Amino acid sequence: MTMNFKQFEEKLLMYGADVRKWPKNIRWSALKTLESSPELQKLVKNEERFEGVLNTRKFEEPSKDLAGRIVAAALPRKKKAQRNFGVFFSDMLSEFSLSRRALTAVSVSLIFILIVGFTIGYSTPSRYASAEQYETHLEDFLNYEGDVL
Amino acid sequence: MNMAIKLLHLDDESLISQIQEESREAFATLVNRHSKRFYRIAYRLVSSKDDAEDIVQDAFLKLWNRPNLWDPGRGTKFTTWFYRAVINLCLDHRKKKKLVNISEGIEFADEKPGADILFDLHQKQALLERLICELPERQQLAINLCFYEGLSNNEAAQIIGVRVKALQSLIMRAKTTLKYKVERYLGGGHDDHEF
Repeated sequence: MTMNFKQFEEKLLMYGADVRKWPKNIRWSALKTLESSPELQKLVKNEERFEGVLNTRKFEEPSKDLAGRIVAAALPRKKKAQRNFGVFFSDMLSEFSLSRRALTAVSVSLIFILIVGFTIGYSTPSRYASAEQYETHLEDFLNYEGDVL
Repeated sequence: MNMAIKLLHLDDESLISQIQEESREAFATLVNRHSKRFYRIAYRLVSSKDDAEDIVQDAFLKLWNRPNLWDPGRGTKFTTWFYRAVINLCLDHRKKKKLVNISEGIEFADEKPGADILFDLHQKQALLERLICELPERQQLAINLCFYEGLSNNEAAQIIGVRVKALQSLIMRAKTTLKYKVERYLGGGHDDHEF
């Protein structure tokens, strides 16, 4: 099976001027088509010239010690934080970033502490002041009309 | 056989599992194996040796600190995944730097096709760089990966995150645009010059 001009032109753009490097399944038919067409041969020549221009693009080699520098910069990893409150809170303060699991744990602990606090507070009567002492006498206050001068 | 030689024979995926166990030797082997290739793509995208080296270093250090980020279960080769990581860092870097046109000072002496413009090599390179930088981002990636890095269409498509057909279309559009512009700005003064 041979290719037509248009198909060849498209493949030329896709795979480049070196037809011998095209995918195996189309290489044979491409070479056969190319052999018999001076027009396509001219097209390939032009593509080679264009690729020659592209290959003049500037490139600087990396420093010789690039790999060594990268390896040297890789510090020993931090050991996993021990599960105690000191480390936990210092991590929280130093990074301000917690995993979802840690955030859930903090939230649940705070809610638990609040519930326990309220429960204790409401269930224990104060020893120092009775409720009567702190009545506000709201009605008296609202009906107070002030001293008549 | 000593440890270093053993590591040389391991594939990337096995090296990463050793890096997860904090093996510096495995990390060094991986860096030695790939730093140049990732530097090349970074350089092509940021056009600066220092910046490209910093980006490659940054990418490898991220891998060292969090090797679990690469998940072999997803069926992606390490190099494909890491190309993507390096490219993302380069694109972020370019956004931050707003990549100044490196050939800003160059005047086009005459923009008519066939005009006899004599650029020296440095100017030609700068102009070519500018023409490539003016391509849409995905076309730039396609031409850098396929033409300059010689990756297969399949691998480049995976890296960019498009289908192979779409990648081929990107290459064709990029080359067609570049041919036109190269002919227009650099094409004069040569015999039989036609792209």
